[in-house]
Amino acid sequence: MSPAGCAHVNGYKVDNWKQNLRVIYQCFVWSGTAETRRRKAKSCICHMCGAHLNRLHSCLYCVFFGCFAKKHIHEHAKTKRHNLAIDLLYGGIYCFVCQDYIYDKDMEQIAKEEQRKAWKLQGSVPHMFTLHQCSLGVGEKFSTWEPTKRELELLRHNPKRRKITSNCTIGLRGLINLGNTCFMNCIVQALTHTPLLRDFFLSDRHKCEMQSNSCLVCEMSQLFQEFYSGHRSPHIPFRLLHLVWTHARHLAGYEQQDAHEFLIAALDVLHRHCKGDDNGKKANNPNHCNCIIDQIFTGGLQSDVTCQVCHGVSTTIDPFWDISLDLPGSSTPFWPLSPGSDGTTVNGESHLTGSTTLTDCLRRFTRPEHLGSSAKIKCGGCHSYQESTKQLTMKKLPIVACFHLKRFEHSAKLRRKITTYVSFPLELDMTPFMASSKESRMNGQYQQTVDVLNNDNKYSLFAVVNHQGTLESGHYTSFIRQHRDQWFKCDDAIITKASIKDVLDSEGYLLFYHKQFLEYE
Amino acid sequence: MSKEAQMRAAINQKLIEMGERERLKELLRAKLVECGWRDQLKAHCKDVIREKGLEHVTVEDLVTEITPKGRALVPDSVKKELLQRIRAFLAQHSAL
Repeated sequence: MSPAGCAHVNGYKVDNWKQNLRVIYQCFVWSGTAETRRRKAKSCICHMCGAHLNRLHSCLYCVFFGCFAKKHIHEHAKTKRHNLAIDLLYGGIYCFVCQDYIYDKDMEQIAKEEQRKAWKLQGSVPHMFTLHQCSLGVGEKFSTWEPTKRELELLRHNPKRRKITSNCTIGLRGLINLGNTCFMNCIVQALTHTPLLRDFFLSDRHKCEMQSNSCLVCEMSQLFQEFYSGHRSPHIPFRLLHLVWTHARHLAGYEQQDAHEFLIAALDVLHRHCKGDDNGKKANNPNHCNCIIDQIFTGGLQSDVTCQVCHGVSTTIDPFWDISLDLPGSSTPFWPLSPGSDGTTVNGESHLTGSTTLTDCLRRFTRPEHLGSSAKIKCGGCHSYQESTKQLTMKKLPIVACFHLKRFEHSAKLRRKITTYVSFPLELDMTPFMASSKESRMNGQYQQTVDVLNNDNKYSLFAVVNHQGTLESGHYTSFIRQHRDQWFKCDDAIITKASIKDVLDSEGYLLFYHKQFLEYE
Repeated sequence: MSKEAQMRAAINQKLIEMGERERLKELLRAKLVECGWRDQLKAHCKDVIREKGLEHVTVEDLVTEITPKGRALVPDSVKKELLQRIRAFLAQHSAL
């Protein structure tokens, strides 16, 4: 069973054997075109008994098909002294002298090429029959990686192997502050530790279609390379800063900026620059892009406006990348909620007397709001302006949910920072805030028993961005999660290990949650 | 050839011609991997090889040992689904 085949193959390898072998593969083993399929259907039967099952083999020396199981091909081989046959199901070559399948490198190469060819052809054939969308248009058939000569050479010259152990710090790297750029550094830390984004960039999935050198996605790709290079010295993100200034002018300059604004601007530019990665969908509909940013960050927010007179509901669904939550102590009134007012403790948050939780903020965000008499909406049912209530719920949850606690108040009267402590959980269940939950509540199922089996809406915290100081002068730091349960504090160039308690006790400004279970669509 | 065998051959021909046979093969392959059948048989193969010795085992040995077990281990749900697909195909191409 050596890869050099057996000695008996050499008798076959004469004249135009390669072409002959190819023809056999194309016509009788892997038939790509309709014509070859028809021929295969008609002619692939045993010349002795007419059966098409029983592991049909074809003689390599002449036109003879015979059953393997019933030994018809064996008889042929003996009488005609034709020692080689090919299995019509799988393309293997059998040698009757060795009495086993043999693996000749040249023949294997031909087999692989013909199989790939046939697959490609079958993928593009329009077939009328589509009970399931199980089409062969899946692209290339999976085959295990076989290194080329060049790759073997490279592997031999570079014997050092990188191993990821539990205390490995790969992926962690500090970022130099280039002048009040801590707002950018924190977001970069959060993005480089978003698992799906990391996987996208480390598998080289970005195909750049921008002519100039100013593609932010390419720069992100470079950034990931820097973070996972294993270098422990801090990285200087000057190119990133320059690109950000070029594409988001409002963030240019050396003053301290808002990390949340930077996040949205960065996601926007990345989304726009992902032109090559979405199969042209963006050109057709900018709201239904399939780029990696949309796949990870875009959710759908449902807004229901109910007319108080006719109770007709008008629904719109808007895409969102983050949820901005009002806090108690701001000038907009916060609905006073006592902890566990529904009789259920949601998400196991610590309800220290009087402290607000993330769930409280979300409950407030999704409560029905009565739009006063000064804000009447034109009702389609009543055909006149009526008072109404508006309610926001989550229609579609993104894979990464980013919560923005509105700590910076910029009202006409005052500009200040709200430092109220908001406790947030490590694990978050978004089920109570979904549009579907609201519907079941309205249908009378008020008691929301947390469905333990429904894993769709469960999230885990993986990054927290914090702001210390005042509106005038402050500093951003972040906590990021590594290896499932290890947390690290990123303060520009300084990375230190942190405990979960440190993370959960921090003030919290931007909270990044990742879906725990990913399903196929 | 018996009537049944004739019908079998005719159906087979139609399946090959329309490319459906390949599609069914891929579907079956995916289902058998999903339900763990492939891994079970792989383990069984390893046992057989260990028994017979790596130098002496032939493909024939494996085929003889594996085939009955493989046939028995296919889950009923997979059989049902494939059968359904074939029936539906035949219904659509009823010129048979």
